[in-house]
Amino acid sequence: MNKFTLVVLSAAMLFAYPAYSAEPSGLEIMQRVDARDDGDDLMQQMKQRLIDRRGDVREREMASFRKDYGKDSKSITYFLEPSNVRDTALLTWDYDGVEKDDDQWLYLPALKKVRRISASDRGDYFMGTDFTFEDIKQVPELEDYNWSLIGSDMLDGHDVWIVEGKPKTDELKKNLGYSNTRYFIRKDINMYVRVDFWDHKGQELKHLVSEEITQIDGIWTAMRAVMTNVQSNHRTELEFSGHRYNTGLSDSKFSERMLKRGYRGE
Amino acid sequence: MKRIFNWVLTHPKSILLILLLMTGLAVSQMRHLYIETDMDAMLPKHSDAYINKQVLEERFGSTDMVIIGVINDDKDGVYNTHSLALVQELTDWLAAQPMFRTLALNDLLSLATIKDIRGSEDGLEVEKFMDGVPQTSAEISQLKQRMHEFGVYDDVIVSADGSGTIFAVRPMPDSRHQYAEIYELVKAKVAELEARGGSERFFISGRPIIEGVFGAYMPAEMKRMQPMVMALLLVLLFLSFRTPRGVLLPMAVVLMAEIWTLGTMAALGAPIYTITTMLPILILAIGIADAVHFLSRERLLAHYQAYAHRKERIVEVMHELWKPMLMTSVTTGVGFLSMQASDLPPIRDFGMFAAIGIAYALLITMLLLPAALMLLPEKAKHAERKPLFTAYVEWLGGAVLKHPKRIMAMFAMLLLVALVGVMRLDVNASLVDQFKPGDPLRQADKLLNKHFSGTTSLDVMIDTGHENGLLEPAFLQHLVDLQQALEKDPMVGDTSSIAEFLQTMNQALHADDPAWKRVPETADMAAQYLLLYSFSGAPDDFETFITGDYRQAHIRINMKTDETKVVANLLTQMQAKTDAWFPAEQGYKVEWAGTAFTVYRLSQMIIEGQIASLLTSVLAIFLLCWWMFGRLLIAAIAMIPVSLAVTVNYGMMGNFGIPLDIATALTGAMALGIGVDFAIHYLHRYHEESVAGNSYKDSVINTNRSVGHAILFNTFVVVGGFLVLLSAALYPQMKLGALIAATMVICYLATCYLFPVLLGLGKEKIRV
Repeated sequence: MNKFTLVVLSAAMLFAYPAYSAEPSGLEIMQRVDARDDGDDLMQQMKQRLIDRRGDVREREMASFRKDYGKDSKSITYFLEPSNVRDTALLTWDYDGVEKDDDQWLYLPALKKVRRISASDRGDYFMGTDFTFEDIKQVPELEDYNWSLIGSDMLDGHDVWIVEGKPKTDELKKNLGYSNTRYFIRKDINMYVRVDFWDHKGQELKHLVSEEITQIDGIWTAMRAVMTNVQSNHRTELEFSGHRYNTGLSDSKFSERMLKRGYRGE
Repeated sequence: MKRIFNWVLTHPKSILLILLLMTGLAVSQMRHLYIETDMDAMLPKHSDAYINKQVLEERFGSTDMVIIGVINDDKDGVYNTHSLALVQELTDWLAAQPMFRTLALNDLLSLATIKDIRGSEDGLEVEKFMDGVPQTSAEISQLKQRMHEFGVYDDVIVSADGSGTIFAVRPMPDSRHQYAEIYELVKAKVAELEARGGSERFFISGRPIIEGVFGAYMPAEMKRMQPMVMALLLVLLFLSFRTPRGVLLPMAVVLMAEIWTLGTMAALGAPIYTITTMLPILILAIGIADAVHFLSRERLLAHYQAYAHRKERIVEVMHELWKPMLMTSVTTGVGFLSMQASDLPPIRDFGMFAAIGIAYALLITMLLLPAALMLLPEKAKHAERKPLFTAYVEWLGGAVLKHPKRIMAMFAMLLLVALVGVMRLDVNASLVDQFKPGDPLRQADKLLNKHFSGTTSLDVMIDTGHENGLLEPAFLQHLVDLQQALEKDPMVGDTSSIAEFLQTMNQALHADDPAWKRVPETADMAAQYLLLYSFSGAPDDFETFITGDYRQAHIRINMKTDETKVVANLLTQMQAKTDAWFPAEQGYKVEWAGTAFTVYRLSQMIIEGQIASLLTSVLAIFLLCWWMFGRLLIAAIAMIPVSLAVTVNYGMMGNFGIPLDIATALTGAMALGIGVDFAIHYLHRYHEESVAGNSYKDSVINTNRSVGHAILFNTFVVVGGFLVLLSAALYPQMKLGALIAATMVICYLATCYLFPVLLGLGKEKIRV
């Protein structure tokens, strides 16, 4: 398929579209979410609060950089707090699709060595938070789910679509740890503001809520995200600050050398 | 008193109505009865074992796991494709059951879930040992080798010889009421797997299963034993009275007393513990005595036509009997009430409700029987029928007088043997030992303990006193030291703690060099390792070992037995070590918990409660006898048969190797309370005979003639009733039944054989 046919095809679909439905399909909405502009690169500060079922809180602070390479991306995260893990840093090369495992390197200052760490399963939890590796991607792998629009609603004064995504196979359900997911997507900015998850047994598992959505450098950004596991009563609160989009981060920022050098502001 | 009796007799219908209403009320309460199988609930709320268990669950999550073992006796053990496919299948099945919590790694441990931490030239690999079922022999031997090298799970998840592997899965929180259901569910699945005809055998155990089986056994036991005791009573009553009313009225009395007691338990919110399941039997067997005394006396008076009117006759019976009946009920009740001296709620409840049941039986006897006799048509005349065993009772009177020395010698020998046994008396509160040796659950537990690290949990919680305290290298090293000290005990199968994981990671991050299998050198390093691990773990993967603020650590110990002796020994040895390594003056706090610790504390409380309740009951019953007979010497003599019988009871336990446990601990005070009745009846009659001016010899013969029967009947009922417990599915009940039955026989012999001999001692022959 060359570029020309593609343009013609999509143009045809665009014109044909209102004829058979007033609303987009679930998949189309998710594609819009996926296509939403989130900048070509980003630097930000992040505060993690892990709250266990007893209410005990563990806090971490980190600074992170991300740069997109087409559909792939690279990111580097430096731990700032607590002091006993300060300067620990994680470098990730994230490849689009599921064929190629992501590459991860970790620098442990106490050992003064960079260690490559094995790729995680998509359903594995990330850094002891309530987010799995699948969750921290901005958008799930669309082709792994059957998407359907199940309705519209108002959420915090905004019109939202409710899109249900069910993993296509039992194998996927097991790997992802989900039997069903439900996205609440703001119609005006194509951004999800709430996600509900059900575990592979079909029981309610987690809620993700994005809050304080504002526009920074023209890009819609959630300043807070809270993931609550209703089964274990464990909760993760993420707070973002200091966003700077599209500053033209250099490729060398995402290297082993920078991993060891530690965080020096920009 | 006579006024009250008269009132009862003039209002028989109202009395019956009130009794029926009360019974109806009790029945309506009975639906609130509930069964308590949680062993920790058997401890008083202020006991450290109880408190620590709550703290343990609060800080580190529940440690009560369902354990399933697979054993394959073929050459390669479970390391073959067929067995490993089963492991994968069962793991997936367990993960899919809503009754289990399978959020974190520690919620479901099996060969198919555990992760290997390995170092390589430039990196760290954290991955499952089994990613799918290995198909080739090369893959299988690689799996085997990795299990051995990793060490943490060796002998825990897979047996050291590779013959078996284990699944440990956590039931959903607060699902205790479903434990029996969980057992049935797992049993059915396992049976399905076994039916496919592989060489793998499955075994199920673990604390939730044990408690679930208890929960299923208890109501079944009560339902099964009730008709057995009732049948026994019917036979004995028929042999004694041979009239429908003689059989049915006493039965009505005791059944009513039983229902009232259970209704009272329900209304007071008292749970049914394993030992309180015996209450119905107890009330039936002991409560019947009053009704039997009442009816035989009434029949005797009717036979002699001593009173013209039925009402006068019954008033006379009531008047004659209320004092001795009250006295024997009080002494029996005191025996049970002395169990209040124990700290253990099941024992306290058992004693209290047994005493209440006995009081009910007395009250109902005094209300129901007179009222019923007033309403039933009067029989023309009772034919005189010699009761059974008349010949024996007649013979007994003379025989005891002929061989005083032989009788003394026999009892002296018995006492001697008993005393030797008492010295050997042991205590054991093991949960598993409450099942008969042949019980499938006990068999499974034994096998799992043989192949794996052990099914009994023991837990140490160490509070370092400050945040991040457990990251300190010195602390971690002492954790390792303590684990090593613990593992020296052959009954300790395995221990695990955060230190073990940190050691493994340290080695993995140093190119898997075994020299680096040691705790991280600095606290920062430990913190960074934990962060590193968290990249592949769930948020609460380490919840069972450390708290989120890194202040408190937990060592989990798997023991191969929950026998008290072993645990007591281990705890004493560890005390010195924990004092040295985690001194309180440096802010450390060491607390023990877990099944083994609970069992240990239970044992201590059983012994303490035992001594206290025995002393209380001996003293109280002695004082009662003194007050009743008015003479110290007679009170002392009255105590002799029971004291002897109780000594023989403990002697038997020592000699036959029956340990004191939560059920057998009851035997002392129980036997004392029931047995002293024989002596009271005997002495009471003997007193009347000698007051009437009879010689010592005639008094003995007459006493035997008049109360010999009643005492014999009592003995039969109590012995028979308790022998029914021999059919119990639970071991303690069985042992208790046998012990009380034997003790009652001794008590009978001591009363009817030894008493007359003792009373004949001295030049003057003791006058009562």
